[in-house]
Amino acid sequence: MANNPFPLSREDLLKAYRTMRTIREFEERLHVDFAKGDIPGFVHLYAGEEASATGIMMHLKDNDRIASTHRGHGHGIAKGVDVRAMMAEIYGKTTGACRGKGGSMHIADLSKGMMGANGILGAGAPLACGAGLAAKFRGDGGVGISFVGDGASNQGMFLESLNLAAVWNLPVIFVVENNGYAESTSVEWAVACDSYVDRASGFGLPGVTVDGTDFFAVYEAAGEIIRRAREGGGPALLECEMVRFFGHFEGDAQTYRAKGEVEELRANRDCIKSFAERVIGAGVVKAEEFAAIDREVLDLIEDAVRSAKAAPLPTAQDLLTDVYVAY
Amino acid sequence: MAATIDIDGLVRVAEGAAPLVGVVANPVSARDIRRVIANASSLQIADRANIVLRVLASLRACGVADVLMMPEQGGIGRHIDRGLARACNLGETRFPNVHYLPMRVCGTVDDTRQATRAMVRAGVAAIVVLGGDGTHRAVAAHCGAVPIAGISTGTNNAFPDHGEPTIAGLAAGLAITGRVPAEVAFHYNKCIDVSINDGTVREIALIDVALVSEGYVGARALWRTENFRELYVTFADPAVIGMSAIAGLLEPVGRSESGGLMLRMAPPAESPIVVRAPIAPGLVASVGIKDWRRISHGVPIVPGVAAGSIALDGERELSFAERDSVVLTLRERAFRTVNVSGTMHYAAREGLLRSVNALLDAAEE
Repeated sequence: MANNPFPLSREDLLKAYRTMRTIREFEERLHVDFAKGDIPGFVHLYAGEEASATGIMMHLKDNDRIASTHRGHGHGIAKGVDVRAMMAEIYGKTTGACRGKGGSMHIADLSKGMMGANGILGAGAPLACGAGLAAKFRGDGGVGISFVGDGASNQGMFLESLNLAAVWNLPVIFVVENNGYAESTSVEWAVACDSYVDRASGFGLPGVTVDGTDFFAVYEAAGEIIRRAREGGGPALLECEMVRFFGHFEGDAQTYRAKGEVEELRANRDCIKSFAERVIGAGVVKAEEFAAIDREVLDLIEDAVRSAKAAPLPTAQDLLTDVYVAY
Repeated sequence: MAATIDIDGLVRVAEGAAPLVGVVANPVSARDIRRVIANASSLQIADRANIVLRVLASLRACGVADVLMMPEQGGIGRHIDRGLARACNLGETRFPNVHYLPMRVCGTVDDTRQATRAMVRAGVAAIVVLGGDGTHRAVAAHCGAVPIAGISTGTNNAFPDHGEPTIAGLAAGLAITGRVPAEVAFHYNKCIDVSINDGTVREIALIDVALVSEGYVGARALWRTENFRELYVTFADPAVIGMSAIAGLLEPVGRSESGGLMLRMAPPAESPIVVRAPIAPGLVASVGIKDWRRISHGVPIVPGVAAGSIALDGERELSFAERDSVVLTLRERAFRTVNVSGTMHYAAREGLLRSVNALLDAAEE
């Protein structure tokens, strides 16, 4: 086997690939099953954006907390939430991560540091500040990570959180996953300051933009930003420029996209394909090893769907359980 | 109207009309990891647009009537359009006509390459470039004999001037309207040609080629000095930021001087010489040096590093393995830039921006 020129061990390269492939197949399967009418509620798919969640989460531990978005499946999988429990949650079943009462936009697993997907745009940012404040008080080196899309970065909560994190010097990282569209509105029409780094600069935070379809670019930049936050260097913003393979939500006719846009993105900006080509090209992993992972992931997704479908729905008696918390 | 739009959508100037100028303003520069690992600045998009407006005003003051702009998606154009519309509302005529190149924008460095080629085809007399060393490199690779007027808006900029854009615009305007002799108005610059596997991959560097042991491009910037292995520079300047400063602190080589410098490097703990060099804004780091020597124009060099990545002008761009053959060649008189200081001093000596108030003269008589 050739020398490994990458900043991850061979095992971690395989792990990163497995995570990205799991996210991709999870979303591709939901795309199909949603069209069949099998899934209640709405789903917003993360396919095409896997390098962002994976490149960042590879640096995190269970005590690091993330606040996700409405497009949160990738974040959950990369943070280590059980894939079967996630699928069951989306199917609204009692075996789900939130016992079937949260659905796609509320998947949470605090044991893994996943504070939840969030149907309210921008609402994750203050939660991440809370997690950062807690970590700072505990002194355990934990960080809070807030994910927002390009659209949600216009929300007041997000901007207030940048301010709060800056003045309290919180170990918080604001990740702007810029896939070019706020629902169906292009960023060109919706973001007055034009650059998310400019936005961070306004609060005295360092901001960095990376190609979010390049796993290694995300991984290296996130690594430095997270290390800095853990060591008391304070908050920062990371913009990942990425692409969305599906619509804003399943069922979105995507009339706002150019003809052939998605096909071109899938052909030329597929983060998993470019990752695999580079790692195989360097001789660190064999193509057959990735192919074996592909098969295992497909089996896992199939099993997750089968078990989700077989599991019971919550009953009327479950309505008020898990709603209130006693301290 | 001096300019017309031809069937390709390109602007062309009429015979005898004022020359056309191209403007490439990159919205992507100054956004990399050096904001976190060092204290590099972030020039806001609105400020970049402001710089373009300053340059435009200077070009108009020199008689330039039409400018070709690279379109982009980063917002610079929108701010410029607002500025031009406001000037128009106020009845001001201090800006030239601005035409956007009819090209598909992809949001990467390919936009700069494509725009440069289109500007050259349209016959621009100069290209004003706003960006870092990377943007200037992309323009220099495709501008041929068309001179560059460079303005720094990037991170570790050793190449472009850090001067006031208004002056750069004036110098460019004076230089291309034939009022300053070419030998004063323009400098020639060196570059390093990088060829991998007999030219399968070809790149250039304007200042430096660094070979580092990291085998991936990743976040691009160079800051882990223990991974530095070899450095080739077109000029070695102790008064600039970045890789050129390392060489400059050992043996300065001027921009217009013949030849360049080559350094062999190693982790500081294993090196006979350690240089404390400003490798990024706010980052003065220890760099281990084994030895160095002069390199000459046109002599191909095969680096001694077997595998790793190649950084061009301070950013990792390519990775290479044992099976790849890498050849570096210093090239002199590679492309031209506007000599801002020389042009402005010539303008002062020759009174190019001076006129006599005839009415006052008549009254005194």
